[in-house]
Amino acid sequence: MGPDGELPVTTVPGETAAVESDTTTAADLTSAPEAAAEVRELVAQSLSQYLRAWWLKVRSGDSGVLPVLLAMVVVAVTFQIITPQHSFLRPSNLVYIFGLSTVYMVLAIAETVVLLLAEIDLSVGAVALIGGVIAFKLAQSWPWWAAILAALAACGVFGALQGILTARLKIPSFVVTLAGFLLFSGILIVVLGGADGSVNLDTSKFNQLVIYDLVQGVIPPVTSWVLLAVVVGAVGTTLWLRAARRRRQGLVAPPASVTAIRIALVALVGVAVVAICNVNRGTALKSVQGVPWVIPIVLVVLGIWTLVLGRTRFGRYLYAIGGNPEAARRAGVSLAGIRTWAFALCSATAGLGGILLGAFFFGQYSTNTADPGQLVLYTVAAAVIGGVSLFGGRGKALHGVLGGLLIGGIAYGVSLLNLGSLSTPLQYILPGAVLLAAVLIDVLSRRGAGSVTRV
Amino acid sequence: MSDVTSDSSQAPAGATDATTVADLTAAHEAAADVPPELVAQSLGQYLRAWWARVRGGDSGVLPVVLAIVVVAISFQIANPKFLSAQNLVNLFEQSSIYMLLAIAEIFALLLGEIDLSVGLVMGLGSVVVAELVQPTGANWPWWAAIIVTLLACCAVGAIQGMLVARLRMPSFIVTLGGLLILEGVAIIVLGGGLVGIGNSQYKNELVLYNIFWGAFTPLVSWILLAVIVGATGTGLWLRDARKRRSGLETPPRSLTALKIVLMAVAGIALVVICNVNRAHVGTIKGVPYIIAIVLIVLGASTVLLQRTRFGRYVYAIGGNPEAARRAGVRLPTIRIWCFVISALISGIAGVLFASWQVSLTTNIIKAANSYVLLAVAAAVIGGTSLFGGRGKTIHGVLGGLVIGGIYNGLYLQGVSSQWIDVVVAAVLLAAAAIDVLSRRGAPGQA
Repeated sequence: MGPDGELPVTTVPGETAAVESDTTTAADLTSAPEAAAEVRELVAQSLSQYLRAWWLKVRSGDSGVLPVLLAMVVVAVTFQIITPQHSFLRPSNLVYIFGLSTVYMVLAIAETVVLLLAEIDLSVGAVALIGGVIAFKLAQSWPWWAAILAALAACGVFGALQGILTARLKIPSFVVTLAGFLLFSGILIVVLGGADGSVNLDTSKFNQLVIYDLVQGVIPPVTSWVLLAVVVGAVGTTLWLRAARRRRQGLVAPPASVTAIRIALVALVGVAVVAICNVNRGTALKSVQGVPWVIPIVLVVLGIWTLVLGRTRFGRYLYAIGGNPEAARRAGVSLAGIRTWAFALCSATAGLGGILLGAFFFGQYSTNTADPGQLVLYTVAAAVIGGVSLFGGRGKALHGVLGGLLIGGIAYGVSLLNLGSLSTPLQYILPGAVLLAAVLIDVLSRRGAGSVTRV
Repeated sequence: MSDVTSDSSQAPAGATDATTVADLTAAHEAAADVPPELVAQSLGQYLRAWWARVRGGDSGVLPVVLAIVVVAISFQIANPKFLSAQNLVNLFEQSSIYMLLAIAEIFALLLGEIDLSVGLVMGLGSVVVAELVQPTGANWPWWAAIIVTLLACCAVGAIQGMLVARLRMPSFIVTLGGLLILEGVAIIVLGGGLVGIGNSQYKNELVLYNIFWGAFTPLVSWILLAVIVGATGTGLWLRDARKRRSGLETPPRSLTALKIVLMAVAGIALVVICNVNRAHVGTIKGVPYIIAIVLIVLGASTVLLQRTRFGRYVYAIGGNPEAARRAGVRLPTIRIWCFVISALISGIAGVLFASWQVSLTTNIIKAANSYVLLAVAAAVIGGTSLFGGRGKTIHGVLGGLVIGGIYNGLYLQGVSSQWIDVVVAAVLLAAAAIDVLSRRGAPGQA
């Protein structure tokens, strides 16, 4: 671990001395080789230096979102070539894939919270479905927001119970949540009212229509553009001002060019998404265009979890426990408390995923809507493919979103292929193979990176 | 360990008791390593030592035997049919699958690993064996079909074992991904339709069918019982006698006799129950073949784990992998073999499963997945630790009986399947909690 990780550091600063501060940085880097492994990018002062530092980090095993982005390109190109009529990348399909992936994205974010602790939650699928069913049932008589909040609270309680068993009694989390999976799958059928029970949203009632529209509703094209401008403007200004403030106060900050590139990338992705969504994807009789509501909803979930994981004490503690529980304990972190909260928040987030899942299936919930076991496997696969480590301490909410999109894309691409009798078995084989491949990469990259855990 | 052994073996026969007591006190530290039963010289002393061990946290089969009694009494009160000979045989038959899968799971648990794919290895095995004997398809003889099925299952176990042992991927992820792939493969082999082995015109299908549904005749049952009890009893007695002659530590003679008597009583009870006519129409009597199959697997795996170097290494790795590695144990090899054996026993369960279900469909294969939870629950309820290094295959058999009893009893009460799942989940959690708490209480344990 030691030499491999440290060697590149000493070679970095020796090369260029364009800016004044470079020499200082070089001195800093050499004097603190251990810290440098984690802050190389932070201390970079020019774009090229930043990119070199990033590349070194990728090569040393911490590849971030790079593999999942590459995998998305490969998957998109492959399916575009092999699908009949090369239909995979049609705007209507892309929007559908996003809707299908929503549940995987939200569940993968939820799973990431627990994976950061080096624990696992195998019950997210069953908990999500219960959350969806509770919200749908309550929306029959309650206002939509109360129904959703009550469902999330119920899921949070389920999660907290599992968290207590894991954190206080120290029963391995995969056993607790395996039993939880079985338990909640049973309760799900009971809540649904028996093996052939179901619950449907009546879209003629306002409160039920709101929940239905979470996924099925669209923002009109013009509003979509306006919203995009507002979002990009707000995010861009915040990023820019934050970097500028750090620079002013003499803290390490990425070079201004990096901040600008980041903002440009956000704008570019946003424009592409809105442009794709604004293509008419309806039929000749009824036009459908605009950004589905579910996209801003997923962005809000992503934003909240990114803030919680990156900017709060709770988030810091999650990474600390995942990186080294004993060190975290000695630093005064209440392991059991943080763990219990992580499980509770994971389950509550999963409940939201379940509500979106039901809305995606046109507001209908029956025992056949989704298989909780398959759901959890897709979820873990999505998180791990996205770049979250199974061994704790490494991962971001964004990884869950990208991994979920990849899994949704694969699932939908296979369904486009008209494979006949092979399509059912492939629904099992593909996520299994993808999960194993993702974990294999995780294991090998950790081996390459040594035991250093990165935030 | 060695000094305890040599001390007491030098003691003259008449004075054994006093010396042993002195030894027990003197070698207080060593006693933590040497089971006190080994140095006990009388039945009373043995029972006292055993009780001390139970209180120290290593309760062995005691909780599961208590659980069996509780399950039996409560369901008997709820429904007087529960302990009828007819239902008991039914219960043994259902439990046989749980027992085999639990034994399979124990090979992974002893290492401190887990195998979540046992349910679908069984599912795949059942589909393969049924497809291979189809007269319109492969039309293989039954024995060839079974051998190839078991080999295929071993190959699956070897692949998963290599991913776990060589690449050090977490076993629960490898076997989670593995079970998904196996589910897909099993559905492909099934070909989307239905495959049955219930046509008695064809000899190969009939043999497969009879593996689960056939039984020894009552007379043969008695003879077999006599042979087994005679052989095992003589074996136990002679071994103890030889150990005593060679001056090794031996449990008291009365204990050996007690063990043999208990075995005979249990065997006689089993044969008597099975020899009651259990058919609604006509006659079905005798011990089902599957009881013999479970006993053979139990016996073979017990010998493998308790009496061979391989078994010692399995416990060593489960107890402390680093210590085992430094002692020269090749961890990857032993781990791979454990996964192979686990898959082999799951494959045997698969042959039984095909025979039990008679015809297999996609839905039955999907349902096979839920058996893994029951297998883990059975093993843990039986007294196997989730953390490795503690457990015996007899635990799987007893735990399987508890799970089978709960299923059977709730089913008799007309409880719907989702509530049965809830109860089993609760039992699994309770068993895991007891495992964790008992480890915490046990001295010298991590």
